[in-house]
Amino acid sequence: MLALLQRLTSPPAQTLTTLQPTPSSILFTVSTRPVPRTLPAHVLYYILILIRILVGTLSIVTLWAKWRVSQGKEPALLICAPGETTETWLVKLLETLQWKYLAPGALAVLWGVIRRGYTEESLTILRGLGVQTSTSSSTFLTTPTTRFIPTTSIQDIFIHEAFKGFEVRFYLAIVVEGEEDVVVVFPSLLPRRAILEEVWRGARACLYEVDNKTKAKT
Amino acid sequence: MPYNIAMISDFFFPQPGGVESHIYQLSSKLIDRGHKVIIITHAYAGRTGVRYLTNSLKVYHVPFLVMYRETTFPTVFSFFPIFRNIIIREQIEIVHGHASLSNMCHEGILHARTMGLRTVFTDHSLFGFADAGSILTNKLLKFTLSDVDHVICVSHTCKENTVLRASLDPLMVSVIPNAVVAENFQPLSHTSNSITSPADHHHRNAPGPPRRLGPHDTITIVVISRLFYNKGTDLLIAAIPRILASHPNVRFIIAGTGPKAIDLEQMLERNVLQDRVELLGPIRHEEVRDVMVRGHIYLHPSLTEAFGTVIVEAASCGLYVVCTRVGGIPEVLPGHMTEFAKPEEDDIVAATGRAIASLRAGKVRTELFHNQVKQMYSWTDVAQRTERVYDGISGVLSHDEFYQGAGAGGGWSATRGRAGVQSFALIERLKRYYGCGIWAGKLFCLCVIVDYLLFVLLEIFAPRSRIDIARNWPKKDIKGGKDKEKEKDADNGAKDGSGIGRKRSARHRREKREERDES
Repeated sequence: MLALLQRLTSPPAQTLTTLQPTPSSILFTVSTRPVPRTLPAHVLYYILILIRILVGTLSIVTLWAKWRVSQGKEPALLICAPGETTETWLVKLLETLQWKYLAPGALAVLWGVIRRGYTEESLTILRGLGVQTSTSSSTFLTTPTTRFIPTTSIQDIFIHEAFKGFEVRFYLAIVVEGEEDVVVVFPSLLPRRAILEEVWRGARACLYEVDNKTKAKT
Repeated sequence: MPYNIAMISDFFFPQPGGVESHIYQLSSKLIDRGHKVIIITHAYAGRTGVRYLTNSLKVYHVPFLVMYRETTFPTVFSFFPIFRNIIIREQIEIVHGHASLSNMCHEGILHARTMGLRTVFTDHSLFGFADAGSILTNKLLKFTLSDVDHVICVSHTCKENTVLRASLDPLMVSVIPNAVVAENFQPLSHTSNSITSPADHHHRNAPGPPRRLGPHDTITIVVISRLFYNKGTDLLIAAIPRILASHPNVRFIIAGTGPKAIDLEQMLERNVLQDRVELLGPIRHEEVRDVMVRGHIYLHPSLTEAFGTVIVEAASCGLYVVCTRVGGIPEVLPGHMTEFAKPEEDDIVAATGRAIASLRAGKVRTELFHNQVKQMYSWTDVAQRTERVYDGISGVLSHDEFYQGAGAGGGWSATRGRAGVQSFALIERLKRYYGCGIWAGKLFCLCVIVDYLLFVLLEIFAPRSRIDIARNWPKKDIKGGKDKEKEKDADNGAKDGSGIGRKRSARHRREKREERDES
C-alpha cells in the first residue's frame, strides 16, 4: 500500500543521454520520456504513434465533414466511404451531433494528440563557440525554447542549491557576463545531483579543455 | 566523535546582536573541532537561499514571513516539510535551537523530536513571570522544553530563571557562558606594543608599570548600550549630573541609541553638561573597541541582564567596570575588576565615586585585565563544553559521567529511559507534553499528534529516497586535524576525570598555546 502510494506520487523518472560526436562538442539531454528497451515495447511505442496520427486525422475529418453537412453541401470525402447506406447513416449522425458538443470534444482530442507527454531539456556545448540550453515545448507542433550563450560571455558554470517549493533542490547554473541573474540549465526538470554532477564535469571538460590530470581531481 | 549539527534560530547575520555572534562563533569553533555545522534561519532582505560563510559554515535562509522584530509568524506546521528536507539532505543528528523568542527555534525542536533527533536549546535571556507577554512566552517555552534533551544557559541566574519558567529538571540544564574574541578587544597599550615589536606578539607581554592617574587627571567614563528602559538608561540619566557635580575631572562618553535618547539629551541641556558628556549615537560592533579604549571606567546600569557580554568586552579593553548587581552580571567578572552597585541612583553614584577613587589611588591594575579575561573566556572553551553536552545526550558519555554522579540515574523524571536521553516513543512524548497544564497540555498533545501524522504523510509523499544528500565541504588537512583532535580528546578525558573543570589553570592554557605555536 505504502509502496503503491509512493509510486503513484513520484515524479517521472529522468534519464540522461550524452552524445559526443567530436571531442570538442557534447550534448547532454535529460528527459522524462520512458525509453523503450524490449522488442514488444518498441512495437508498442510505434503503434501508439500510429494511433495518435489516426485519431488526430479522424477528429479533423469529423470537424470538416460536420462543417460541410451544416452548410448543406455533400461531404465530398464521405463519398469514398464504403456503401450508400453507411454514407447516409454517417450524414444523419453528423446532423444529430450538435456543434456545441462536437467542437469542444474534437478540440480536446486534438489537444491530447499533439500534446507531448514528456519534457526534454538539453545542454549543447561547442568548444570555442558557446553553449545552448533548450527546453522542449508542451506540444509537438511548437518549437523548443532555446538560448545560446557565446563562450566569451560565460563567466562560470556551477552547481548550487536553492529553495523550490517545500524542498531544497540542486541546480546547474551558468553565470553570464553583464546579466543580473544566472541562467539555470534544465530549469523545468531540475535533475538530481548525480546527473547534474556528470553534466557539470562534462561541460567543464569540454568548455575549458581540462586535461585528464585535473579532471581526475575534480 | 564528530556530529552533524544544525543550529536553528530566527536571529542570525546580517542582523547584529549577541545571539547572532554567539551562534556564529560557536559554530565556527565546532567546525574547527571537526564537526559539521549548518545554520537554519529565515530570509533577510536581500539574503535568501543557501549561503556559505567563512570556515565552510553553511547557512539556509528559509524564505518565511517575518512578523515582529525579525521573528517569523508562528504557523507550527508549515515549516515542517522544508525543515525535514534540510535535515535529511544534510544528515543532521543534533538540532540546537537558540533564543527563547525565536519561533523558528521552537518549531524546529518540536519537528526534530518528531523525526527522532537529539535536541539542545540555548537560552540567552531572562524573562519575568508576571506580565501577559511573559506568561505567553513561558507557556510556549514550556511546550518546547518539555521534550528537549538538554538545555544550555549563559549564566547561573539564567539557568534558575529558565528552570522556573519551563519547570525543568535542573540536572538537564547546563551553564556555558558566552565568550569574547579577546583579540578584537585589546587595550590601547597592547596594540601599540604589538605594532612596535611584532616579534613578541605571541609572547605574553608583561605589562609595564601601572600608569598612575593623578588627582587632577581627567577620568573618562564610557557607556555603550542601547538606550532602553531595561538597560537602565533612566538610572544613568539620574546619576550623570550627580557624578559630574561631585567629581570635577570626569568626562562621559555615551554610545548607542534607543527610545530613551531624547530624555538623555534633555537632561544634558537642562544641566548644561554638553562639554562634559559626549554623545556618539549608534555605533557598529567593530567600533566598540575604539570607543572603549578612550575611557577608564565602564558604567553598566542595566536593570536586567542574562550575561552581559559588553562588560567582558570592556574589561578586556582594560576598563574598570561599574555595574549593577542584577541577573547574571555578578557571575561574569571577578571582584577585582568590578565595582557593584544596587540598581538605584544613590548606589550607582556612590559606586562610581569608589571606582574613581581607587583608580586615582592606583589600586586597580587595569592593564592586567586583558590577559585575565583572555584566560577566562574563549570560544574554543565554549565549543569544548558544548561538545560535551552533545556527547552526553547522544549517549557517548554515560549518565554518571555526564552528570558527575549527581542523583540516581533517571530518578527525577519517570518518563525518561535514562536521564538526559529522552525516549522518542510517541506515547512517552505525549506523557511529557500532557503535564504542561490543564488546557495547554491537551492542546500541546494535539499539536504533537498532528505533527506526527504530518511526518508520516511526508514519509509517504516525499520519501527519503527522493531527497539528494548534500556534499560536505571538503575538510582541509584532514590528517593533521585528526591527530590534533585525538590529542585534545585525550586532554579532555584527563580533565573530565578531575571534575567538571570549569576553569582551567593558566599553565594548562600556556602549554596549549605553545603547542599550537609549534605546529
